[in-house]
Amino acid sequence: MKILYDWLKEFVAIPFSPEELRERLSLVGIAVEGVSETSAGPLLDLDLTINRPDCLSHYGVAREVAALARSELRPLSVKLAEVSESAARATRVEIECPDLCGRFTARVLRGVKAQPSPDWLRQRLEALGQASINNVVDATNYVMLELGHPMHAFDMDRLAERRIVVRRARAGEKVRTLDGVERTLFPDVCVIADAARCVGIGGIMGGAETEIGFSTRNVLLESAWFDPVSIRRSSKTLGLRTEASTRFERGADPEMAEVASRHCAALIHELAGGEVLAGVVDVYPARREPLALELSRKELLRVMGANVPDGEIEAILGALGFAPRRTDQGRDTPDSPLARWQCRQPSWRQDVAREADLIEEVARHYGLDKFPSRLHPSKQPAARLPYALAEDRLRERLIGLGYHEIVSIPLVNEEEDALFRPAGVTPARVTNPLAEDASLLRSTGLVSMAHALAWNLNRGQRSLRLFEIGRAYRLQNGAPEETRIVTIGATGLARQQGVAESARDYGFADLKGDLDQIGALAGRFDWNPETHSWQHPSRSGKILLASAGLRRVGGSQDPELGRWFVTVGNTVIGAAGQLATRVAERFKLRQDIYLAEFGLDPFCNGFGLARSGRKYQPISRFPAVERDFSVILNDGTSFAAVREAIAALGIAEIISVEAVDLFRGRNIPPGNFSLLVRVTFQSPEVTLTEGQLSDFSSRIISALEQKLGATLRTT
Amino acid sequence: MKSTFLADLKRATEWGQWERVRDNWLGPAGIPARIATNWVQKAPQNLRHLLSREREGLISFINIRLQTSQTLEQLGVNHPDQVPGRFGDLRKIFDSEIQQCIDEVDLGIDKTAWLGRRSGVLAQITENWLKTSSPELKRVTGQELNSLRAHVEAAIEERQQSITAAAEGAALARERVDLSLPGVIRPIGSRHLVRQTFEEIERIFLSLGFTVVEGPEIETPYYNFEALNIPEHHPARDTMDTFYLDLPPGSEPHLLRTHTSPMQVHTMEKQQPPVRIIVPGKVYRRDNPDATHSYMFHQVEGLAVDTDITFCEFKGTVEYFVREFLGSAAKTRLRPSYFPFTEPSVEVDANCFVCMGKGCRLCKFSGWIELFGAGMVDPAVYGFVNYDSAGVSGYAFGLGVDRLSQLKYGIDDVQLFFQNDVRFLRQFP
Repeated sequence: MKILYDWLKEFVAIPFSPEELRERLSLVGIAVEGVSETSAGPLLDLDLTINRPDCLSHYGVAREVAALARSELRPLSVKLAEVSESAARATRVEIECPDLCGRFTARVLRGVKAQPSPDWLRQRLEALGQASINNVVDATNYVMLELGHPMHAFDMDRLAERRIVVRRARAGEKVRTLDGVERTLFPDVCVIADAARCVGIGGIMGGAETEIGFSTRNVLLESAWFDPVSIRRSSKTLGLRTEASTRFERGADPEMAEVASRHCAALIHELAGGEVLAGVVDVYPARREPLALELSRKELLRVMGANVPDGEIEAILGALGFAPRRTDQGRDTPDSPLARWQCRQPSWRQDVAREADLIEEVARHYGLDKFPSRLHPSKQPAARLPYALAEDRLRERLIGLGYHEIVSIPLVNEEEDALFRPAGVTPARVTNPLAEDASLLRSTGLVSMAHALAWNLNRGQRSLRLFEIGRAYRLQNGAPEETRIVTIGATGLARQQGVAESARDYGFADLKGDLDQIGALAGRFDWNPETHSWQHPSRSGKILLASAGLRRVGGSQDPELGRWFVTVGNTVIGAAGQLATRVAERFKLRQDIYLAEFGLDPFCNGFGLARSGRKYQPISRFPAVERDFSVILNDGTSFAAVREAIAALGIAEIISVEAVDLFRGRNIPPGNFSLLVRVTFQSPEVTLTEGQLSDFSSRIISALEQKLGATLRTT
Repeated sequence: MKSTFLADLKRATEWGQWERVRDNWLGPAGIPARIATNWVQKAPQNLRHLLSREREGLISFINIRLQTSQTLEQLGVNHPDQVPGRFGDLRKIFDSEIQQCIDEVDLGIDKTAWLGRRSGVLAQITENWLKTSSPELKRVTGQELNSLRAHVEAAIEERQQSITAAAEGAALARERVDLSLPGVIRPIGSRHLVRQTFEEIERIFLSLGFTVVEGPEIETPYYNFEALNIPEHHPARDTMDTFYLDLPPGSEPHLLRTHTSPMQVHTMEKQQPPVRIIVPGKVYRRDNPDATHSYMFHQVEGLAVDTDITFCEFKGTVEYFVREFLGSAAKTRLRPSYFPFTEPSVEVDANCFVCMGKGCRLCKFSGWIELFGAGMVDPAVYGFVNYDSAGVSGYAFGLGVDRLSQLKYGIDDVQLFFQNDVRFLRQFP
């Protein structure tokens, strides 16, 4: 809402400059975006909250100014010279739908001369962004901006039978509105009709056929009140928002309808001549008594926590039109804690309907800055989210491993989501997306991760490690479901070329190693070779969390060997691997991409279990001894099989089994590969003797030979 | 050449023919003379000086050997006064030789030549001069010899140290690291800025006794609107344009929450006062994206309800938060506003930290920046959760995490948060 400073001054004395007024109004809740200079003087641009339709006018803002400056608001009065013939004889008004239209007033002016408006009027309208049309139409707009009530002037001679019927639209009924658009109506729309047809959409826009033109002689001036919800619904459905609909949908003042009409008739008469018929045709089914309100000091103190003196309360509520009256027994005692006031809701403040609302009125004009600041002691311990610690440790480890956290918008492209969506998942779609590319709530974070990688690769950032802690969405039996997930994406170099070391590409082993370091926080990750369609068929796997039945056995310090944890059951919690070429192409990703995702909740559960089960392991005083076994194995023999064959020997002194080197070719026969296995022995009680060690070694060799057909490499 | 000479000299001395040796070596047809004619004079300019120095060295070597292979008597010394002169010559030769030692090898040769146990110059003097001296010469010769020995040993030791020091210095200079070369930078990640702001907000409110809770992003209209006193067709819904979910016919309608406020209702349904929670999370509004709008953004909702909370406690809490978040210099003002679920409602403003309140583009020349909305919980909300609105009171606030991050770090485009460009992410380690 735009307000002219000089126009305000016609209603109230303003002891402030426009800039000071800006600050003062903002501090009582009438936000002023800015002050500018126009040909009609300084202009204040208000950013009003939706509860204050009363301030969509100069008079309404003047009332706020009067209250904050404690100055007098000029009462409204106008002299209307009427002829003796009564309007009631010239027209008839009928409201068929009092639920939609609560009041309809009509005044009749005869013999007017529609012509261009005088300069002073044009100047004000134009400064406020309103185009000047002709003196009759401009008068209705001018009074609307002055008093806040939208009105409409009809060319009375074009109204069939010169009468008004306010009714619901008929199904399929059409009307061409003032903007020249033909609109099809529906029965919830309140229309203004004459004896024959619809001539306007009530409270929203008039019709073109009865528009005031320079040939207009006789005018029917409508000033009505419409139900806010009905106006809002119609305006939304028709896609038509106007100055009128904005005012009516927020709640116009029904009492103002007649007052504004009188002012408007006087102005038309002044500008366009002619004569005003006596009286007003006023159909007012929504008339009601003003609401009685009560304010007590007790409640004011309970909500605001500090006192406001009687004089301030009465001055504020009085200036805003609430007519406060002390009603308690001790009303001769000023500032009594038992003080109560009886108030009356002004017709323009339907937003103030409860004691709490009155308290707000008092507080905002008294000054929020006058209330002291206090902190209140807490009566309960504060808690973080149940999984906060697990998330902290996870995030910390990922960051230590070089991954940057990303945050993405989970609305994605449906086809792209389908590339990653696990079988059997029903995705959650949005009915009213802003764009096709954001029409679906992602069923996995991988689709967002692929986008984040692509964004960076397209901008010359070639080595990337990213992670996201977010959610995936799906429908489960028709109901939406959200799952917390961790997504990882990496590509490019694992190590940059520098003066001290050479470059190395990020590969599957990097992804697995990083994930296993994360898995160690929650027990241990196990791997299983099944793959999803998004995964590269040979460089991928499923992630299982070995957390069930977590307990520690023996004195091992190597969780890799699985001796800290006995796995009763594994749960699949995610998948990891290289992105399949087919999918990478869809995202135009032209280098190897590695992705992983797992469920955050099972991880956090595992974290809690692992943490509560963790106990100190005594560190052996006796030296650990390493023995390397270089064996030739058949292709397809897994390292896990090697480890199991060794573990099956039950040698308690083995504390770790590691793969140190692996190669094919050269002196290795085709169909075989060479594996260098490093076994570490240590006893918590004794130093191992050479004899014991060679016994262990020969048992390991024969186990590998017999179980896996391995041959010991001798060269 | 030196060893040939020594062999020659050894034989000659045994046979008492040292004069022959002297003539052979130092005479006009001697080797130094021939070196002079055949090598030095015919050598190219750059070698000549070197050869000539080597030649002089050879001459002095021969001279000393010749002298010390004879007894003092043979040399014609028969008075104690003549002894120091002999030693003085030797010292001069030694000094000039040691000056020319530039490395360990040179010094080794010199050390053997002078201090060698059998054929060193000092051993020769002991053998040939001292042992054979007459008693009257012996005392002076002994003194001179000891003095020369002390001088030679000290000089060699000193030279040794300086050569070692020079060698070490050279080695260190060769191996010195270039401090301006980069070290090995292991990749390290970062928390997203939005996450960092969440953590900062959590830290502040945890210190005030607020418990953190989370809720679903997909909500029902009841929790997102109705129970927050926003009935259908309330104009407040215009400011929160909403995404709805496409669900099978007959399902309960669901939407993407437009604020984290629904958790107010969920929490109060489950828990009686006192309540003190904050709710971090993602929210969605169907706004076209631009520098200040994203259709997904982040909020932290706050709610405190008890029997003794008033506007003053609300104000104190909000001011504490702003000071903790923006710094102790931050000034706060509360400006009346409107939200359907708070009454009174306020906008919390901070004095503009760009212009310090003087007026600039960021604060639209008002000196104040709008931070977030808040207020005392509207009694109507208590009605939805069966709280006694006459007995309890409280406050609520909704912090825009992205907006607060933008303000704090001067980020002019909210889209940067969700593009996840690593050049952006790396700026906030």
